[in-house]
Amino acid sequence: MNLEDKVLAIMREVFEMDDVSTDTTQKNCPRWDSLRHLTLASELEEEFDIELEPEEIAEMTDYDRVIGMLKSKM
Amino acid sequence: MTTFVFRNQTVEPFFGYDGMAYSGYGDISVVPADADRYIWFYQVPVNADSGRLAEELDSYRDRLDLVLSSVDSGKQFIVFTLVNTFVLRLAGNETAVAESVAEFNRHAAQLAMSRPNVKLVDFSEFTSRYDAATLLDWKYYLMSQTLLNPKLARDFQAWWQRLEGELALMRKKCLVLDLDNTLWGGVLGEDGIDGIKLGGDYPGKAYTYWQQALLQLSGMGVILAVCSKNNEADVLEAWSQNPNMVLRGENFSARRINWQDKATNLRELAAELNIGLDSMVFVDDNPAERELIRQMLPQVEVPDFPAKPYQLMPFFKQLVEKYFRIYQVTAEDRAKAEQYRANAMRQAEQSRFADMESYLYSLDLQLDIMPADSHNLPRIAQMTQKTNQFNLTTRRYNEADVRQRLEAGWHIYCMSVSDRFGDNGITATMFLEDVDDVTVNIDTLLLSCRILGKGIEEAFFKTVLNLLRLDGYRRVTADYLPTAKNGQTSDFFDRMGMTCVSTAPDGAKHYEMELNQVCEIKNYYNIRVL
Repeated sequence: MNLEDKVLAIMREVFEMDDVSTDTTQKNCPRWDSLRHLTLASELEEEFDIELEPEEIAEMTDYDRVIGMLKSKM
Repeated sequence: MTTFVFRNQTVEPFFGYDGMAYSGYGDISVVPADADRYIWFYQVPVNADSGRLAEELDSYRDRLDLVLSSVDSGKQFIVFTLVNTFVLRLAGNETAVAESVAEFNRHAAQLAMSRPNVKLVDFSEFTSRYDAATLLDWKYYLMSQTLLNPKLARDFQAWWQRLEGELALMRKKCLVLDLDNTLWGGVLGEDGIDGIKLGGDYPGKAYTYWQQALLQLSGMGVILAVCSKNNEADVLEAWSQNPNMVLRGENFSARRINWQDKATNLRELAAELNIGLDSMVFVDDNPAERELIRQMLPQVEVPDFPAKPYQLMPFFKQLVEKYFRIYQVTAEDRAKAEQYRANAMRQAEQSRFADMESYLYSLDLQLDIMPADSHNLPRIAQMTQKTNQFNLTTRRYNEADVRQRLEAGWHIYCMSVSDRFGDNGITATMFLEDVDDVTVNIDTLLLSCRILGKGIEEAFFKTVLNLLRLDGYRRVTADYLPTAKNGQTSDFFDRMGMTCVSTAPDGAKHYEMELNQVCEIKNYYNIRVL
């Protein structure tokens, strides 16, 4: 699985919904609330063995930004 | 099913969202009456002022009491103990916070003892697996007030799921133990009564601790049995002669000490104790014996045995956590091990009488039949959960379910059985629901297998029907729903004179009977309706 697919899979699991795509944003996805946002961050940290700073977590507000943040860490 | 969680921190990542609802942080002003059960999950917040923090922790006791006084006492209420995940001591002798934590936990344990619906969960059992830095992740705590690291969510869910299974009373009933190199070190037949390792220094000390722990477990209602390849006479001698022996013959409800294969012995033990093989846990140091049981009797739980005597106490802890933990020790549980022993005595008695009837007369059987009330309700729910063999419909109810049905006007009876050997306590229950003014349907009828074999089920069934007949009921309907385990009841309603009016493809049968005369009951029972 490549990075993009892994991230989509994690988002589906955290948000407990199948309808997650590269267009998903915190705004257009009702399940992407502040608590699940943190669960998403902790899952990403675990999966990719990285540390995200609170400021970085706060910036990851849509799929593209999540991917961008991960790439900058690797 | 909704669970309402009282909390003072973010716990959603751990309990999830499905079927869950949460209080405000530290808020108890809203106590939703429509929740099916409640969880109290407060943890120690972060506060450098330990005096203040201790005061806050002390207030949790009052909050918990207040909430408990306003929830339906028929609904399950699970209280997590407090664990301090961030211990900050500015002075070495600073103990106020630790004392408040201990005081809350003592209080919660008291509540669990005194209120049937309150169950205590020892949260340190989960937290003790991790070091302090793993437990509390300051980044996430400060961003979202999770006192528990969200990375532990999966572990927590697995642990919690197992606990929930245990809370639903899925525990095992009987621990079957080998002797040589299991209850003591060495081989009795070779080392002799005084040569086996027990008591004194290590390794004997390890076996002493292990036996003492097992004795406590038996006091909590777990049945102990022995299955050992030995000469029985040698073992009896060791039990009476070795001064370091903690567990002796009288602590075991049944034993098979012989040279027969252990699978046959376990089958016999199950039959003698009147329990299913799936209620047994088999502990033996010999891997070949363990493998034999795993192969021949897959229903029996067979944990691996520790390689070293000093690993026995952690092994005991695992046994308790995995198979035997008791959340609410009822008086019934405590007396149970005693009763199984008395039953074994009764079997010995049986052969001394010419016929079954004269035996039954000699027993002085006393049947007390009473309607369900707040005292016996936990036991009634427990029986619907645990009884498999003599159970006509195998419907599982928790305490809230039973209470709900009682309030809906169901006729719910239970029966306590005693004889000259001892008191079996409440061991049968029957639920009947009105169909119309003159008809009742038997929703549930079950008896603990401890009391089977004396026609008691018939006496119970008929007494209850006579009571309902006095109340003006003229017709009774019933279902038999087959399961893998209740085959022995498949013709019970036929034997009671009911008419089978339909049979479903899966074997379920529907019965009817007119209540036009008093059911006759054998006179060797003293029956009291309370």
